[in-house]
Amino acid sequence: MAIHVTTSINAEPVEFLCEADDTLVHVLRDTLNLTGTKEGCSTGDCGACTIVLDGRLACSCLVLGVEAEGKSIETIEGVATPGALHAVQQSLLDHAGLQCGICTPGIVVAARALLERNADPSEEEVRYWLAGNLCRCTGYDKIIRAVLAAAQDLREAAS
Amino acid sequence: MADSPDGDLKYVGRSIRTKEGRAPLIGKAKYTSDYAFAGQLHACIVRSPHAAARINRVDLSAATRVAGVRLAMHGADVAALTDPIPDYLEPALFGGKAAAHRCLAIDEVWCYGQPVAVVVAEDMRTARYAAARVQVDYTPLEAVVDAEAALAVGARTIVPGWDDNLLMHVPFMHGDTVAAFESADQVVSTEVKIHRFSTQPMETRCYNAVWEHNTESITLYGTSQNPHPLRLVLAQTLRMPENKIRIIASTIGGAFGLKMHGHPEEGLICLLAKLTGQPVKWLESREECLLIGAREQKHYIEMAVNNDGTVLGLRDRFYANTGAPSACPGWGMAFLTGLTMPGPYKVRDIDVQMHAVSTNKPSWNAARGYGKESTAIALELAMDNVARQLGVSPVTVRLKNFIGKDEFPYDSPTGLLYDSGDYAGAVEKTLQAIDYDDCLEEQASARESGRYIGIGVAFELTPEGGAIPGSMVVGYDTSSVRVGPDGTVRLLTGVTSPGTGNATGIAQIVADELGVDIDAIEVLQGDTNASPYGFGNYSGRSTIVGGGSAALAAQDVRLMIDKVAAALLEVERSSLVLQRGVYTSTADSSASVTFAEVCYAAYTRAYDVALCIDPPLEATRTFRPPSIRHTPDANGNINPYPSYSNAAYATVCEVDVQTGQVKLLKFAVTHDCGKVINPILVEGQACGAIGFGIGGALTEDVRYDASGRQLTRSFMDYVMPRMSDMPPIAVEHHDMPNPGNYLGLKGAGEAGVGGSAAAVVNAVNNALQPLGVVMNELPLTAPRVWAAIQQASVAPTPGGDQ
Repeated sequence: MAIHVTTSINAEPVEFLCEADDTLVHVLRDTLNLTGTKEGCSTGDCGACTIVLDGRLACSCLVLGVEAEGKSIETIEGVATPGALHAVQQSLLDHAGLQCGICTPGIVVAARALLERNADPSEEEVRYWLAGNLCRCTGYDKIIRAVLAAAQDLREAAS
Repeated sequence: MADSPDGDLKYVGRSIRTKEGRAPLIGKAKYTSDYAFAGQLHACIVRSPHAAARINRVDLSAATRVAGVRLAMHGADVAALTDPIPDYLEPALFGGKAAAHRCLAIDEVWCYGQPVAVVVAEDMRTARYAAARVQVDYTPLEAVVDAEAALAVGARTIVPGWDDNLLMHVPFMHGDTVAAFESADQVVSTEVKIHRFSTQPMETRCYNAVWEHNTESITLYGTSQNPHPLRLVLAQTLRMPENKIRIIASTIGGAFGLKMHGHPEEGLICLLAKLTGQPVKWLESREECLLIGAREQKHYIEMAVNNDGTVLGLRDRFYANTGAPSACPGWGMAFLTGLTMPGPYKVRDIDVQMHAVSTNKPSWNAARGYGKESTAIALELAMDNVARQLGVSPVTVRLKNFIGKDEFPYDSPTGLLYDSGDYAGAVEKTLQAIDYDDCLEEQASARESGRYIGIGVAFELTPEGGAIPGSMVVGYDTSSVRVGPDGTVRLLTGVTSPGTGNATGIAQIVADELGVDIDAIEVLQGDTNASPYGFGNYSGRSTIVGGGSAALAAQDVRLMIDKVAAALLEVERSSLVLQRGVYTSTADSSASVTFAEVCYAAYTRAYDVALCIDPPLEATRTFRPPSIRHTPDANGNINPYPSYSNAAYATVCEVDVQTGQVKLLKFAVTHDCGKVINPILVEGQACGAIGFGIGGALTEDVRYDASGRQLTRSFMDYVMPRMSDMPPIAVEHHDMPNPGNYLGLKGAGEAGVGGSAAAVVNAVNNALQPLGVVMNELPLTAPRVWAAIQQASVAPTPGGDQ
């Protein structure tokens, strides 16, 4: 039996119906057509489906749709403002921190969350914070450069 | 806006990102699995739980009774409507055995995970539920899982009708190996065991087939590296004319060879769409994706060496466990491993015996490096063994035996024609990048404090752009350049991008040839109804032949536009100057017209100023690299490669002798891919490939139990490097232009896997040398390194604070 869920996605109120065992990534992609969130492994190992759930990073493949009841969800679709990329996105583009791009939404969401908590992370902090996001194309080197550069850009913009 | 070209400021050679990147960053890139169509149905495949079994009966009745199920089929049902899947690369071309590859198994299964039945339903949940209700009655057979055991007398043959399990044996021989071994001071033997890897792109395979009722044709949205050749395969499998099939390979989320075709699901999903008259989608699960492996092989190497380090001769017998026969081209990797011996070394007397063996493991598909990485792993581990036995530096041994930079073009003993290179120079640059001398000092002082630091070097030759006669692995490709009446450019090319950035690289070339802003160029790839017939992405070929053909087409179109500009301005064509989108003339300072105005005139004034051309402003050209030679030479050899990219690697690791954990501290690579079109994209390719090599050397491993059931089923088991595992990578370019190709291009993309894996293994062995530990069996996981240390002849003396 379908269950009614009331939530907010990227600061917009959203209600949807889902089955009790539907994962949140399936609800986002198939019911709400928010296909920016990717499913890479379905076991919480790759981080492609990373979202922010009530302020915390989560793998949306490990969250049930019904668990979103009363919570706020942030997805990749809410990161850029109309007309402008977020500093993390721009920096990933400039530093070629993405290749095929399928892990990129998860990395953007996770990296933005890092920089919201820590404006000046060390390289090691970036490496460990983003260790939950697998990328098979880049060898990570340019992602790390991009996130460190984005942190610097944001600090300079704030000062 | 990207910078406009003016004067000497060209796009080629610059690190820019314009043709891909923005859409994935905002979650708007459309990958195959993001497509959903009205009336979308979903397929779920029933797979064999046995490595080898006879299928007695497949009962679909419990599945078809489930409401929402539209169709359920077993092997015999599908075989009645399809023909066997043609091989991407026929083993028979190389004297190998043939097998019939079916979409679903009939009578027998040959490996764990082989498709046996399929269920189509209105939603995925129903399809999965119904698939679980399919009853298959099997009689398990003895599974043959080890390659050498598969060749033993009395081993069960896995394919009915074959007389043994040897898919193919190819000798690669040159010179007089017996004399070389007799005259050498020493013979150094090395056994190298390379385990089963899997490429595991972050996007699994997905096929969404749409039956087009109006034209009675199929449109397949699919994760394919090679849409045009796949179209021919589907035509033959489905018994349909090729012109009734369209393939759209949308944005692809990484491929690395895994999305080359021959997979049973490709034709199967199309058939299901045809039978139901509705779109049918199949999305591979990660567990299914992990079935596809590569490069499990054992090398028995002997090197005949003199005491000064000169290698006189090479013998290598190797056995590749290519798994069950399939239509995918994975087995060809083993052939390439033999063909590219002895790599960068000037060894003339060789005796290399390649054995590709069929077993009851799931089959290989192509994997980045396509066998050349295994050549590098085998040779580079053996070279370090030579250095250890002779008591000389591993660097010295390599420098002693490299082909010299003034010896190109170089005829290899297997008939390849290496175009160019400076191997010693690349090694030198790498050692500088890693501060080799400082590393040696650091290592010595660390050993005094009980820390085990190792330094590893390796070299890798990666011929790129391969072409095999009589197959759809061809050396050329084709592009079309179309300039519209508004001066904007549509570039269509037969090469595809699985996310490598070649669209940007090719657009850079076209922007320079046409003299236009790169933002005025749109690149279209991967749609068989739009692109010229092309062969897609493999073998590091895309920029060589995609870029080369696009350059030729752009030159043709530029000539047309120049002619119209000269007619409009009433000046000699030779006096024209095109800068920032405006034509002027050195002969008439008042003459000026924009590029867009000229293009408009080319379309609209066909009876006066544009009489000098044939509109439209379009050209289609093919680039066929001239150095490929398919006519056999006196020894019967061909040269299937137009470019011989290469790279040198060095790494520093620390081994925790109490746990066996290997930590990489430093990594440097020097890469020669000829002229670099876009440094940042080449670096991205190299770093990504190095990630494959490091993961493969240390943690990635697809494992089976004794009965051939796969144990590695998720990313919990298949352990790929994470950001916290990877060292910083210093990338140097050392570009020796290829004299035969446009702009001096060589391929990029494959170098990195084998050389980095070998450097890591050599570093670990170097770290553990004081203990007498030598490990030439990959991967060097912590438990295996720890076990080797336990068995060492010398007990470790860990440092005080560990």
